[in-house]
Amino acid sequence: MSKRLVAPPYTHRTGWKPSTPQDFGDGGAYPECHIAQYPLEMGRKKAKSSKTLSLTVDGSGKVKYDAIAKQGRGDNAHLIQTSYQDVLPLAKRTDVDNKEMDRPSEDQIAETTERTKAALEKIVGNKIKSSHSREIAGKPAQAQYVRYTPNEGSQRVIQIRDAVEDPLEPPRFKHKKVPRGPPSPPPPILRSPPRKATAAEQKEWMIPPCISNWKNNKGYTIPLDKRLAADGRGLQDVQINDNFAKFSEALFIGERHARDEVRQRNVMQQRLAEKEKLSKEENLRQLAQKAREERSGGTSSGQRAAMPNLAAYGSDSDASESESESEAESDQGVEERERMRREKRNEREREMRISHMGHEQRAKQLAREQNRDISEKVALGLAKPTLSKEAMFDSRLYNQEKLGTSFGDDESYNLYDKPLFHGSSAAAAIYKHRNQDGDDELVGGGTEEGVDNALKNDRFNLGANATKGFEGAELQEAREGPVEFEKDVDPFGVDQFLNEAIQGNNTSKRGLDEAPADSRKRQKARDDDL
Amino acid sequence: MKIKNQTQAKPDYHPQWKLMRVISGHLGWVRCVAVEPDNKWFATGAGDRTIKIWDLASGELKLSLTGHISTVRGLAVSNRHPYLFSCGEDKMVKCWDLESNKVIRHYHGHLSGVYAMAVHPTLDLLVTSGRDSVARVWDMRTRAPVHVLTGHKGTVGAVATQDADPQIITGSMDSTVKLWDLAAGKAMTTLTHHKKSVRSLAVHPTEYSFASGSAGGNNIKKWKCPEGQFVHNFSGHDAVINSLSLNADGVLFSGADNGSMSFWDYKTGLPFQSMSDIPQPGSLDAEAGIFCSTFDQTGSRLITGCADKTIKMYKEVS
Repeated sequence: MSKRLVAPPYTHRTGWKPSTPQDFGDGGAYPECHIAQYPLEMGRKKAKSSKTLSLTVDGSGKVKYDAIAKQGRGDNAHLIQTSYQDVLPLAKRTDVDNKEMDRPSEDQIAETTERTKAALEKIVGNKIKSSHSREIAGKPAQAQYVRYTPNEGSQRVIQIRDAVEDPLEPPRFKHKKVPRGPPSPPPPILRSPPRKATAAEQKEWMIPPCISNWKNNKGYTIPLDKRLAADGRGLQDVQINDNFAKFSEALFIGERHARDEVRQRNVMQQRLAEKEKLSKEENLRQLAQKAREERSGGTSSGQRAAMPNLAAYGSDSDASESESESEAESDQGVEERERMRREKRNEREREMRISHMGHEQRAKQLAREQNRDISEKVALGLAKPTLSKEAMFDSRLYNQEKLGTSFGDDESYNLYDKPLFHGSSAAAAIYKHRNQDGDDELVGGGTEEGVDNALKNDRFNLGANATKGFEGAELQEAREGPVEFEKDVDPFGVDQFLNEAIQGNNTSKRGLDEAPADSRKRQKARDDDL
Repeated sequence: MKIKNQTQAKPDYHPQWKLMRVISGHLGWVRCVAVEPDNKWFATGAGDRTIKIWDLASGELKLSLTGHISTVRGLAVSNRHPYLFSCGEDKMVKCWDLESNKVIRHYHGHLSGVYAMAVHPTLDLLVTSGRDSVARVWDMRTRAPVHVLTGHKGTVGAVATQDADPQIITGSMDSTVKLWDLAAGKAMTTLTHHKKSVRSLAVHPTEYSFASGSAGGNNIKKWKCPEGQFVHNFSGHDAVINSLSLNADGVLFSGADNGSMSFWDYKTGLPFQSMSDIPQPGSLDAEAGIFCSTFDQTGSRLITGCADKTIKMYKEVS
């Protein structure tokens, strides 16, 4: 070995090249050897570690491009999946021999576990060393004794022991964090690149721009349609539940049904009432006929019986007229009927006249009826227009107590001196029974006529006394509305007489005289009109 | 060739599965479920920050554990200790002693929410992973962080362990699956076949393979251990797969974010049943969603945790 290292002696070095550091021994370069020499590695340029991998080929001569992914992976290099085969399902792969997927045996697993455990224990041991309690302070390790001979003749024994350490002393050396090593090269991606989103997908992902209706700090001009889109109102179309339609339809049907029922009930009731009326009329007619027969001594009973439906009874049709004439009633009855007929005719003629009258004429007629037509008075010079402009007031409005109600003095107590609801339709409206349809459960069908009829109906044949009530009550007129209290009227005019006697004036007398004349005049005017 | 292969692969017969029981008790999404080794009870963790322990046979609530201050995202029961481990979005990893029902340890170190956890079957190790895109390996007893498994570029949403290499498998939102060398604390290989984030992993109990599920098309894939070779796809469940479960009979269950469920023959990758989760009365249609699932120890019951705050149990139709 030493022979190998020794350089050839001087003058024998032609053709010899020092190549290793050993060739130089401890010395320098050999000037007679004309090559670049680096004794003690001095002057040699360190070869830089290149990041460029050398191009390698596999067994079939193809370039192994996956070398870049597998470099620096040590034992795991064969696990890096780089080829197309790695994308194929295992059943279709040609480069894999072992396609079985059996678990390793117990022994293998135990061996793996042991190996891992040992490695981890080492790591954990290092990690938790700091937390282990140190040797108890004050009991230093055993001192070592060393016999030391500095020179011949003198000898010393030296004790070596650890310096006493303060356990609470902060660490003297700062731990510097070691920078992380370079990461392992990225693994080859074995999936297809993500597909480009289609227009439909892009549309699905379109998020409308954030446009506020309140803020626009930068003052952009935002088109109206964008604003509306940002509003979000038009984005979803309103869907109305079917049940709304169903509900309204059901309501409509129900209402129609109910109305139908009510109408039918009404018709039924009407029919019943008609029937009853008919039967009543029949009854009355029979009664009348009986009475007539009794009166006439049963002469025309046969003829009467031949005409049971006395529709013409009491009417003024020609047929009944001739019949009644032929019947030869008493003269008085004929006269009476004649008079009534005449009156009726007059009445009808008058009505016709009124209906044929012009508008103005009719107004005049109405006014005359209410005693407001003063055209005749004007013609006679009785009514004069008011001359002074100041006094253009209707004198009839003076001295009416109606005005006093709101402007009366505080002392007067005239709250109850007038009838409540006097002359107004309110009382009638309140106190009239308004059930026009007629209800079976109410007396007389609930209608006004029905009630009156029911009241007048003398069910127990008591005669007129039955409805009389208290004595003197018949003097009172029938009440319409609530009970009204009147001011105490002196029937005999005693108070008035006394007042007149005291005051001694006769103005009231004149007033009394005027009234009848006026009424007479009114009556005359009306008759002229007809 | 293709057709020939498909005809050759004949799937095993599996009975149909049907809904057996609906347990409502949680007040939030049920995010994780774990069955005890003795098959007596199972534990669920939910968005209401509680862990509830239920009787497996009767479905009755046995216990509610409170302590997390945010959603509980992961649960694991050790088969060699009386311990229950839980992790949550509050960055906490807790160790519960099931004899006193108290937290006895915290594993402190995650920088963000912890989304998944697994207990090593043979070693006293705990693996957690989360939003800080690392998986951490903890020594169970000393609480020391043994390894910080860095390399993922996104949230690590799924982690699985097994007793043979690779002992740790993680699936991440960067749509990769990484197989880790536990002894060295380094990634052995990275599987980049998935197109979208990998949210679920399931290791077969007897076969030396595992499955991973993600969103998007061809989203469930089967891999061969230890190299991580791609075996085949489970195609047909086009949804965001939130959870995968495997039992020893070779039934793979996949539950998706929209409530759709599929049962697959693990050997051939063919589906034999598809169902959809029915949200409990009173919940919205949108609340049909499956977050977690597991088979019990016998493989005859499937427990799923749902977005309608219920736990649903399925069984085979006999």
